[in-house]
Amino acid sequence: MPSKASTNIIWDEENDLLLLGKQIMEKQFHSLASVADITRLMKVLEKVNELLIKDLHATKREIFYSAVQLFGDQKNSDKSIEDVATMLYTTRNSTHIVASAKGSCIGRLRIRDKNDIIDLEGLGSGGWTISPMLDNIEILESDAEFILVLEKDAAMIRLSEARFWRKYPCIILTAKGAADIATRMFLRRLSKDLNLPVFTLVDSDPYGHYIHSVYLRGSKRLSYESPFLATPNIKLLGVLTRDLDKYKIPKDCRIPMNNTDIKRTKELLSEDFVKKNKEWEKDLKLALNLKIKAEIQALSTFGFEFLTDQYLPEKLTTGDWI
Amino acid sequence: MKLFYKKDGGVIQLIDKEKINEWPIELPLIFIEYIRNNQLKSYTDTKVQKEVEQYLDEILKDVAIPRLIEVLEGNKDDEILNALIRIEELANKKIELVKPIKPYIENLLKKDNKDILKLSKNILGSFTKAENRKKLAEKRKIMQLKEREFLEGKINGEEYAKARKEYLILKE
Repeated sequence: MPSKASTNIIWDEENDLLLLGKQIMEKQFHSLASVADITRLMKVLEKVNELLIKDLHATKREIFYSAVQLFGDQKNSDKSIEDVATMLYTTRNSTHIVASAKGSCIGRLRIRDKNDIIDLEGLGSGGWTISPMLDNIEILESDAEFILVLEKDAAMIRLSEARFWRKYPCIILTAKGAADIATRMFLRRLSKDLNLPVFTLVDSDPYGHYIHSVYLRGSKRLSYESPFLATPNIKLLGVLTRDLDKYKIPKDCRIPMNNTDIKRTKELLSEDFVKKNKEWEKDLKLALNLKIKAEIQALSTFGFEFLTDQYLPEKLTTGDWI
Repeated sequence: MKLFYKKDGGVIQLIDKEKINEWPIELPLIFIEYIRNNQLKSYTDTKVQKEVEQYLDEILKDVAIPRLIEVLEGNKDDEILNALIRIEELANKKIELVKPIKPYIENLLKKDNKDILKLSKNILGSFTKAENRKKLAEKRKIMQLKEREFLEGKINGEEYAKARKEYLILKE
């Protein structure tokens, strides 16, 4: 099966994606060291076969409970699920094993979930919970002009209360933190089908920038799925380190970086895809020099409406993104 | 996606006809009805509204109706039955949507399958009811006019009674 070791994860400069290389590893059926692994792998394959034949979906947790003694811990079943997808050269979603719903989406979009038409403007302030069963979802209609990806649910609530998409025709989505597979896959589908510009709004810290990078070119752990999950044309709208001075964010709203932040920023700066994007590199270096970070919520120091009435409109209309 | 360009630079995107072709047979009609009733007004640009209307008509003519007809003309009774169940639901919601397939439902009256016959009769009954409702609405207008003319002395009692009788027969 394809090796998932870090030495086999390569950055495809042309397509701007983190991909799995060509290295192959072997798992022996008759070795004591790998017999447990192989048995778990076969169990997952058996379950995938059953799910596909019955056209059903199961969560990763359900797979774990299908053979608790064999898996021992959910980490083991999760690993076997990833191995199966890698071995089959497919995405985990295609195996009909899904994660629980996490992300949400709201705005100028109409979709179909099997036989139901869902209007994402008419679902109240919570929006539509992005279904992990994306094979049932189809995009029907939209008059949006861009897509906005938010790192945090708090920002989603702010934009949702302001009905931001009514004044600025857009589709807004969030994974409520780290980008999960369903949200990334749905974003990719939106971007590909609707061919709209995509922007991220994340915290001005290395973790926010990392989340942006995962949407942009995939994660190392799931590099075998990158071609199906990444949105390579996504732009980093904010909050940029340079914005903190530009928008005169008060000093007491800026947080000093800790050692982990500094280490993560340095790690990001060593990535080829950051080195290639000079503006991104410059902003990360600025953060490292100033040793400060800030959350999206720091913008509300000027009032709750500052984000929706001034910051976002100004950034979007002046093209101030990376 | 099919693109429609607004004068203000905005774009409206609707799913491609080819993709709709792969849907369950009743869904294209639901989609057409949904866009007509819920989205069309929001497009504001009259040129785009017309273009979208045309596109929806195209979907109806090229995808929705042919697919239903294909099933109704086939030999698989279970598929026909499923299609009829969905057609009946749509007929109860909006009879105009299924009007083009009326002749094909009439043909089904020749079938031996009792369930197909029952559903076909129900749907054709819905057509008759809808036609009667339309006629009654027209007659009601005439009746109101006659009433006014009678009160103003422009027509005599006999003429008024004749119109009234026609109206009441249709109403019953």
